[in-house]
Amino acid sequence: MTQRATLGGLPARSPVEGLRRRKLSFAEVLAQSVSALAPSAAIVVVPPIVMVRAGSATLPVLLAATCLIVLVGWCLTQFARRMAAVGGLYSYTAKGLGPGGALLAGWALVVGYVAVAVAALVGCVVYLASLTGVQTSGWVLAVMVVALGALATLTTVRGIQLSARVALALEVASVLIVVAVLTVLVLRAPGGTGTGAAVVDGPVTIGGVAIGVVLAVAGFMGFESSATLGVEARRPLVAVPRAVLWTPVVVGVLFLLAGLAQVLLLRSAPVEVLMSDVPVALLADGEGLGVLSRTLDAGIAASFFACVTGSTNALSRVLFSMAREGVLPAGLGRTHPRFHTPVVALAAVLPVVVGVPAVALASGVRGRDVLVGSLTVSALGYVLAYLLACAAMPLFLSRIGELTTPALLGGATAAGLAAAVLSLALAGVSWSGSGAMTLVFALAWLPGPLLWAVLRRRAPDRLAQVGVYDQPTAGSVLPGQVTRR
Amino acid sequence: MSPGVDRGVTGRQPQAVRSALAVLEEVARAGAGVNAKEVAEALGLPPATTYRLLNLLVGEEYLVRLPDLHGFALGAKVAGLVGAIAPARVPTAARHELGRLRGQVRAGVHLVLYAGTTLRCVDVDPDLPLGSPELLEGHLHASAAGHLLLAEQPDWREAVHHPGRLVALTEATPVRPADVEACMAQVRGRGWAGQAGQLHEGVGCLAVPVRGDAGRLVAGVAVASARGVVPVDYLDAARACATALAPLLD
Repeated sequence: MTQRATLGGLPARSPVEGLRRRKLSFAEVLAQSVSALAPSAAIVVVPPIVMVRAGSATLPVLLAATCLIVLVGWCLTQFARRMAAVGGLYSYTAKGLGPGGALLAGWALVVGYVAVAVAALVGCVVYLASLTGVQTSGWVLAVMVVALGALATLTTVRGIQLSARVALALEVASVLIVVAVLTVLVLRAPGGTGTGAAVVDGPVTIGGVAIGVVLAVAGFMGFESSATLGVEARRPLVAVPRAVLWTPVVVGVLFLLAGLAQVLLLRSAPVEVLMSDVPVALLADGEGLGVLSRTLDAGIAASFFACVTGSTNALSRVLFSMAREGVLPAGLGRTHPRFHTPVVALAAVLPVVVGVPAVALASGVRGRDVLVGSLTVSALGYVLAYLLACAAMPLFLSRIGELTTPALLGGATAAGLAAAVLSLALAGVSWSGSGAMTLVFALAWLPGPLLWAVLRRRAPDRLAQVGVYDQPTAGSVLPGQVTRR
Repeated sequence: MSPGVDRGVTGRQPQAVRSALAVLEEVARAGAGVNAKEVAEALGLPPATTYRLLNLLVGEEYLVRLPDLHGFALGAKVAGLVGAIAPARVPTAARHELGRLRGQVRAGVHLVLYAGTTLRCVDVDPDLPLGSPELLEGHLHASAAGHLLLAEQPDWREAVHHPGRLVALTEATPVRPADVEACMAQVRGRGWAGQAGQLHEGVGCLAVPVRGDAGRLVAGVAVASARGVVPVDYLDAARACATALAPLLD
């Protein structure tokens, strides 16, 4: 009995205490990633816009984007198997690149989540309006944004279990609807070639392919968000990596199938259909499948709503982590006494998520423009965060002495490709004349680097806290074991 | 682990199981804080395989990755494998404390020890013995001492056998997950457990925790009365006894 455990360094409580621990099943963890990705909206919206750029290289482009994202997902699993984080990529990056890299990646992620929540809220409102046939004046849309925003707030405060279940059900239903609509359309397709073939089988240019990959990558954004459920998931070191890896694999397959179907359909359709906002809905209408096209609208609206709750859930947990570290005001780290959700962080972000689109729509900006603009901003944020997290992975593994050759190559390749995508996206955004969005992103992202600079001078001790996760506590190790040295 | 097609243990799986057990043994032998490279070297396993096995064992919570992220320790779950905690030695001073409490109350006073997710009755009242120590040890959902242990777990389902099919020992035994959940909430709220008639018809019992270093639950003092209600009159005496036992048992 001389060598009793002296694991005295272990705290009695986890630094991220307050969230509901170990409650979410694997399906609910998966639901978080799936809802933030919004696959049914993505597989309908993204292939036609990729086609316009990439022409006959559309399917290879979709495949390349899928491979890149699966590689990024694999890099993230290296972290997810080793630490149960609440800050997702932010906390991961901290373990490889230190607090500076973490704040750059973390704030990019925050901007990404906010912007995608804005985009999804607008998308939901636009599809609901087209479904109900409401004459869409800006004010009506703005009021709908506020109402849906309030509903999303209630769902997210009430707890992730409820919102995850609702989101997964909505998502499965809408993916089934999309698959059904596409199947019916392909079976009834007349064949032959229409004016659309000029675009679908169009010439392949390097620039077009590059932009196509960027757009297709944007279709996967949010797949990593279950990485914020480290505390709430049951067996997080198993469930989270599984969700982060399998979400892009399964969605990638759906993407390719939906892409193939749309290539077949749009080749034989008039070019006006291809260039419209809602090609698949127009095709369904043209086939006299008005009911199907209405169902499709409803499914996509549901998918967008799930995406609002999914992104907000993830966003609030990143801010919660930053607050617990002392990087942001401690108040943001408070949780609801009954629902155990980061309620203050949620309350802080929702006015932004609801306010920005409500003001934009009310002042007469078109819904589609808000949607595309905020998606552009979020794509820049996500890809920057992916890039930094992938670059951090080999450094993290080498620091803990577990680096392998595949991990080094995988991390370097993923970071390199993400850097290429990011520079193409920046270039592409300025070519397409929406350089304003780059500026919006830069301004929104500025607090990240600023926070780092200020904290490094004023409070280096708080910066040292960056990267908190659900550490093992005195209760999680076997009492009485021999300790080394 | 979900029921499905039984493909048996095929191919290289037997070797993988052996290696996983060897990794577990090596962490136990080397002591808490051993890192992945050291485990790989000691066992002569390829590093990549060792890292995977370590991650799997951490995922299943048999191992814990320490906060420096490169050291490993045995997880609390390992205690469940040990089953009977080696012949439990209750110090004489602790037996004296229990004797003092037995002199104060007109009810059976028992001491249970906890390790991981298991409970052992180590000192049973000689005058008013437990109806069945095995029943108490085997059905954590039906006793006050068991409730103390379950309330301590992040997820009580992982500490009981067949959480979906809890045994109803009496009419009052909580068998539905929601009922167990309610019991847990009550225990966490007031810091002690009490039940009436859940284990044996007509027997009420309360249990107070004995907490060691950093608030870890190490033992429980149970007071059982045949009057059929929770013997709350003895709560303060039991608490005083638990406080006195803490330095003796940790």
